[in-house]
Amino acid sequence: MSKIIDAKGLTKTYPSSAKVVDDVSFAVDEGEIFSLLGPNGAGKTTTIRMLTTLTSVTAGEAFVAGRSVQREPGEVRSLIGVVPQEVTLDNELKGIENLLLAAKLQHMPTAEAKERAGELLRLVELEESGGNRVATYSGGMKRRLQLVTALIHQPQVLFLDEPTVGLDIQTRTRIWDYIKRLNREQGLSIFMTTHYLEEADQLSDIVAIMDRGTIRVSGSPSELKANLRGDVLTLSVNGGVDLTELLRSLPNVTEVTRTDGSYRLKLPRVESALPAIITSIASQDLQITETSFSKPTLDQVFLEVTGRSMRDALESNTNGHGDRYASAHASETK
Amino acid sequence: MISETLALGRRSLTKWTRNPFAVIVTSLQALFWLALFGNSFNPANALQSNAAGSLGPLQQAFGGAATYITFLTPGVISIVALTGMSFMGVDLVFDRVNGYLDVLRAFPIPRTSIYFGGVIQNVAKGMIAAPITFLIGLVVPDGLRLGQGFGVLNLVGIFATIALLTTVFSTFFTGIAISVKSTDSFFAAVNFLTFPIMFTSTAFFPLSFFPGWLKPIAQVNPISLASDAMRLLVVNGRLSASQTSAFIGDWVGLLAFGMVFALVGILMARSALKAR
Repeated sequence: MSKIIDAKGLTKTYPSSAKVVDDVSFAVDEGEIFSLLGPNGAGKTTTIRMLTTLTSVTAGEAFVAGRSVQREPGEVRSLIGVVPQEVTLDNELKGIENLLLAAKLQHMPTAEAKERAGELLRLVELEESGGNRVATYSGGMKRRLQLVTALIHQPQVLFLDEPTVGLDIQTRTRIWDYIKRLNREQGLSIFMTTHYLEEADQLSDIVAIMDRGTIRVSGSPSELKANLRGDVLTLSVNGGVDLTELLRSLPNVTEVTRTDGSYRLKLPRVESALPAIITSIASQDLQITETSFSKPTLDQVFLEVTGRSMRDALESNTNGHGDRYASAHASETK
Repeated sequence: MISETLALGRRSLTKWTRNPFAVIVTSLQALFWLALFGNSFNPANALQSNAAGSLGPLQQAFGGAATYITFLTPGVISIVALTGMSFMGVDLVFDRVNGYLDVLRAFPIPRTSIYFGGVIQNVAKGMIAAPITFLIGLVVPDGLRLGQGFGVLNLVGIFATIALLTTVFSTFFTGIAISVKSTDSFFAAVNFLTFPIMFTSTAFFPLSFFPGWLKPIAQVNPISLASDAMRLLVVNGRLSASQTSAFIGDWVGLLAFGMVFALVGILMARSALKAR
């Protein structure tokens, strides 16, 4: 599969701040959904802005759809669609007028533009409100229109910067469905940034965790979680007998800790190990009184690679610790 | 570049047709300038013996205008062009503040088309005010008295002159609008610039009224050039050879301003819109 995005040593430094993006390298295969996951101020938006030619590259190089971001910015712009973090539609224009203006600026013939605009409005279920001014749209409708405005010219790559930030869960789920459909049905390659763990987990083929300007780890969500060495199973057993050694001897159990009569087991896949665990406890004439298990999450992956949870990272970046990144980001978006 | 420029210009005009308040208010400024200031500034007020606002012995100093409103109307048309163009540029500042300019920068279009899109939409809106001002000049008491032989060509000349002046100011203020980061900075710049431009011009009084040191500035002020050119057409009807060369001189001056401002505007737009 060919690479639709190839970034090597991408670095961005602003004169008044530290490195906002520091020697970042990654590749996105054609037809893939690639997510850059990290807290605010991690350098995600700066990375997406460099790839979309809106921010200059201090060092390194990047290719999008085979074109150099630095040397062929015009060509890159005609091959990509960009959906920024904020809704940036023209409120005074009608929905369809926003689409047709985008088509004109992408040099599409009028007849083709009108046909495509109709298709896209149907795709995001806005065909009935396409003739209304955007000022009358709800927040979710605006996001849906913004998404398809970036698709009017059938780009090879779609860049989404925090596509569902600030949306309610129903609208967010709907946007996810559109993104999945665009990827599956039209084979569209998608590069997105997000600080929502669930969003990255649900949508992405590949997730790269970014923190403080660098990519800490990348892989498919299942790989990243599997690297944490599996699920956690918690058991309570009657009888007061210490079963630690017995449980440790079972195949696939990698770690056992006993606390107040309950056991916490780490194992690659709880589903495959559970029958053996139940049988061995029953063979001791004991009964399991309580059980629960958890699958590893991307938050645990984030914790593992950065030493802090996403929630802590988000809080610290709004409370001062991440100010240097936040201010760099602010200066860039002015 | 032309199709993108027109598309962006059309965008703003479409918006304007849905919310014409700003343009209408700008156009109606002329009513205040002509009906109120036209009376209070009128030098004929000091000449008690002159009937119907006639400038009498001052007529020669006022370029042969029979009434002060005749002299003032071309000046007010020019002033309305200045104030209209200065404030209409704010659309681009809002585009920057709300992120729309970034969206435009992500399209495969020349950056200068964003600048020229702003210029042409402002010119189109600004041109609406000119005929309204002209009509107000005709209907106010002691108003505009057209010279003998005034015809369609004079009217065409007046509107061509105002189109040129509007373009001059639009290139200038659009350049500022595309460069500033906030609406506060934009309005500060506009307020700082418009009053000196307005009051160092011959919009209200002829050049002979200015002190010696101010005359060279007033003479080359774009408002003076446009006002004087239009006055020649309003007052004289048919132009003599010397009046024609004076008219051409005013036009050359305006064209020079337009070209310099457009060049500076393009450079400002390129600098403001380039990736940093």
